Amino acid sequence: MNDATTLSRSSLAALVADLAAAGTRIVAPARAADGGVDYRGIASLDEAVLAGALPRRSLKEYFLPPTEPLLAWKQAGSDVELREVPTKPVPRVVLGARPCDAAAVDVLDKVMGWDYSDELWFGRREATTIVTIACDGGDASCFCTTVGLAPDATRGSDVLLVPAGDGYRAEVVTDKGRAFVAAHASCFVPGDASDTTAFRTAARAKVASNLTADPGKVRAWIDQNFANPLWDEIGLRCHGCGACAAVCPTCHCFDIVDEPDGLGSGVRRRNWDTCQASVFTAHASGHNPRHDQCARCRQRVSHKFAIYPARFADILCTGCGRCARACPGGQDLPEILARISAL
Amino acid sequence: MTELRELARKLLADGTVQIVIGYEEGPKCVRPSFARDAAGADRLIFDDRCAHDLAAYLSPRRLPVKRQGRVAVVLKGCDACALAGLVRESQIKREDVVVIGVRCGGVKADPRSPGPLSESNVADRCRGCTVRTPTHVDHIVGPETAGHPGPSSRDARIAEIEAMSQEARWKFWMGHFERCTRCNACRQVCPLCFCERCLQDKTQPQWLESSPHARANLAWHLTRAMHLAGRCVDCGECERACPVDIPLSLLNRKVAQVVAERFDHHPSDDPSVPAPVGTFSKEDAQEFIL
Repeated sequence: MNDATTLSRSSLAALVADLAAAGTRIVAPARAADGGVDYRGIASLDEAVLAGALPRRSLKEYFLPPTEPLLAWKQAGSDVELREVPTKPVPRVVLGARPCDAAAVDVLDKVMGWDYSDELWFGRREATTIVTIACDGGDASCFCTTVGLAPDATRGSDVLLVPAGDGYRAEVVTDKGRAFVAAHASCFVPGDASDTTAFRTAARAKVASNLTADPGKVRAWIDQNFANPLWDEIGLRCHGCGACAAVCPTCHCFDIVDEPDGLGSGVRRRNWDTCQASVFTAHASGHNPRHDQCARCRQRVSHKFAIYPARFADILCTGCGRCARACPGGQDLPEILARISAL
Repeated sequence: MTELRELARKLLADGTVQIVIGYEEGPKCVRPSFARDAAGADRLIFDDRCAHDLAAYLSPRRLPVKRQGRVAVVLKGCDACALAGLVRESQIKREDVVVIGVRCGGVKADPRSPGPLSESNVADRCRGCTVRTPTHVDHIVGPETAGHPGPSSRDARIAEIEAMSQEARWKFWMGHFERCTRCNACRQVCPLCFCERCLQDKTQPQWLESSPHARANLAWHLTRAMHLAGRCVDCGECERACPVDIPLSLLNRKVAQVVAERFDHHPSDDPSVPAPVGTFSKEDAQEFIL
């Protein structure tokens, strides 16, 4: 599918206004009250921050929220009454997703639909149209080109917009994207007048210059080096804080807790969790198979670059670099990949 | 720098310590460093980007560090106050660690911010700092540097927040707490959050809801601030580590203001200075007891 159209900035504003008027929820990178950029609901294009730094948190929270109810319960004598919570997601459009964040959602489809199809995840997936904007190559922590993606990758997107002139060249990626463009045909002008080659080439080259590493080699090394001094060294600086997993677009582990909201009633919730926390693997007996931060760091790198590839033929990382930017201890995943590649 | 590297090399070579925890130039920015030989010692640096509080690595729960053997650690004055806290609260013995104090003229709030240290990028805790030269140390390195004049801009911010209506103040904090995903970065980087089992990890009973919704996040952050009353040394690590930029040090600062006012307690790098928590004094204000 490569039927390109052109979307001017003014048409994009009109498109947002149309969507808002129709009651469609629009999510875009936008300034939060404290000045930082998050993916959040917008009512007009003026609120969106479509270029510049990555939003603080990835897009994953729109498909796997940090916390969500699964069911409610009520005790009545010796009976327990279970009540379903509404799971019908509202239609929405993500505008200005970063390619690394859009790709992550597609990567996660594999585990979410693996031995059980997660209806909450896929419900939101189906209800959401992702319109991605190609990025200009980000900063020194970006490494999407190392994991098979690119600043203009289409993976996970329904429509890809590439900056061109005062607007965008719009590429339809999926049938959902085609339907979206068709539904707003007045905004998209057929034909692509602008050449985006220079933008794409420069962005790709910028990211590629950040890191030389071979994921195939990394995987092979991990498979052979469960016990290696490298893990001991990496674990030294790790605080076990979990900031990396919180901002990661592909870290998806969760905990399930029962939270009372009164006497004999409560809500069962699904909450984000992280393998970087000691309690993540703590057994009731007191034993902890991942007994220190070295083992937990090894787990995070292994899951992304060896375990997920082995199970799903896919890397559980889209090279967004958020973990490296967020780490208060200076742990740098690109550095680890480069070191392993050079061994 | 030469002074620091030579000292580290000597401590490692003569077997005084097996590891020196300091700072190094990382791939993107300055970061903690773990020197175990001469080559590692030669990577050590100290400059105005070294905001990290390395005392956090001294907690007995840090098994990978503990395994290395005897530790020497590079500490700024504020970090030395954290070490004193660990000693005061019987987490480590002072004689088990070699302290390399560094004279500090202030650090950047964000080590990655470009350009020289200035009034616009200096960490707020450095304004009016009184511990620029740590005293209870085994070695002291670095040149005398002019500090940054006070007062802390957070004191003005706290006054502003307190002047808000209750509704506006609630909105301000809930706006921040809504973003919290309970990643626990604030807790993990805190040198004084050393509990073997944190209150929020306990499930029987569950004192605090672990779900990252605003109600539970509020409970968590207020509880944490109270648990650090008279203990927080204002190293700023919780705020620096927060991936969603919650201004946590405003909470800790406010509590510290109250502790200073009520108990005349200020962070100190002297472990023998008693902490208000765990100290009974008949002179303590009691007018609130009916």
